[in-house]
Amino acid sequence: MRPDDLKFQKSHEWCKIDGDVATIGISDYAVSHLSDLVFLDLPAVGSTVTAGESFGEIESVKAVSSLYSPITGEVLESNEDLGDNLEWLSEEPFGKAWMIKVKLTAEGADLMDGAAYDAHCKAEG
Amino acid sequence: MPLPDQPDGQPDVGLRGLRVLVDEPAEAAWNMAVDSALLELAEEPTLRIYGWQPHAVSLGYFQKIADFADLPDGTSIVRRTTGGGAIHHGDELTFSLALPASLLPGDIAESYVLLHDAIVRALATIGVTCHRATSGKVAAARPSSRWCFETPVRDDLITDTGKLLGSAQRRTNTSKPRVLHHGSLVLNRPQHTPFVAAVCDQVPITESLRRVLHTRLIAELTKVLGLEAQPGERTAAEDAMAARLCDEQFRNPAHLHRR
Repeated sequence: MRPDDLKFQKSHEWCKIDGDVATIGISDYAVSHLSDLVFLDLPAVGSTVTAGESFGEIESVKAVSSLYSPITGEVLESNEDLGDNLEWLSEEPFGKAWMIKVKLTAEGADLMDGAAYDAHCKAEG
Repeated sequence: MPLPDQPDGQPDVGLRGLRVLVDEPAEAAWNMAVDSALLELAEEPTLRIYGWQPHAVSLGYFQKIADFADLPDGTSIVRRTTGGGAIHHGDELTFSLALPASLLPGDIAESYVLLHDAIVRALATIGVTCHRATSGKVAAARPSSRWCFETPVRDDLITDTGKLLGSAQRRTNTSKPRVLHHGSLVLNRPQHTPFVAAVCDQVPITESLRRVLHTRLIAELTKVLGLEAQPGERTAAEDAMAARLCDEQFRNPAHLHRR
């Protein structure tokens, strides 16, 4: 079940903004297309992520893909348990499979609500 | 995170050529730097064929250098940007494809099927038989060995004696998703890797055969991509970026030891 208070970007990352803190992850659609996840690399607490730029990398079987941040800010928390429990991404992509929490400085320019994101996914096929 | 077939990544209407680069064998760091530069900068889909001098070991992007402490002193080692397991690069036909993700159909697995079936056909023309791993114990979803060739996974190209082709990808760029696809086809089996299948198991490796194999590989890959092969050269910008990445990243011990 997808929460209705999320924002998405075309590259399939989501963010949930609560005050000045944004929680970031990747969508169920992305997880279903990647499948067989094996490694995850997330930024360290205290580092800065920038909207539209890579904040980490994920490896499914035989493909490394960059993860792109929907927002700009300083990393407050990184989900350190996720790398050893990548099945969480299939089980709860919008819950316990969150990736980083960031002190929000600025949002990316092209974030979509859930309905617009669904249309984007449908257009991808 | 880029996925295939994003509308933003649709190829230009005029995108019909596959630039083909055939490079002399080179240092491992330079090879990886050139591929990264092509992924970043190549304005046209590009197929690069190259080799390794000296022979080298490449680690998958996420592998730990500590797991390779047993390699002989002086071994040339590089960390790839693509995933998967480590590869002994000896006498092999190595190729990279740098192209828009939209030129590859479907999801990641489907892109492997497309490219690997093309290679099966190219090899068949020189009398080499292999097939994609589709079932049985060789079709595990996750590799269990540090070596790419030791544990074939689903859709890898295998023969009766083992894995014949190592493949890996990196996918990047939000606005125009792109793919770097690596392929390593073993011609003569490297030392210390008895588990590897090789083309020499089925046909003698001659200079003539190498040339024919290049031609057939190019022909089959262009066919499945719907492109026309066009011999080309790297641009000055690609060479400049490759030189920078070679020094700053691929020859940099900090990059090799990052994990």
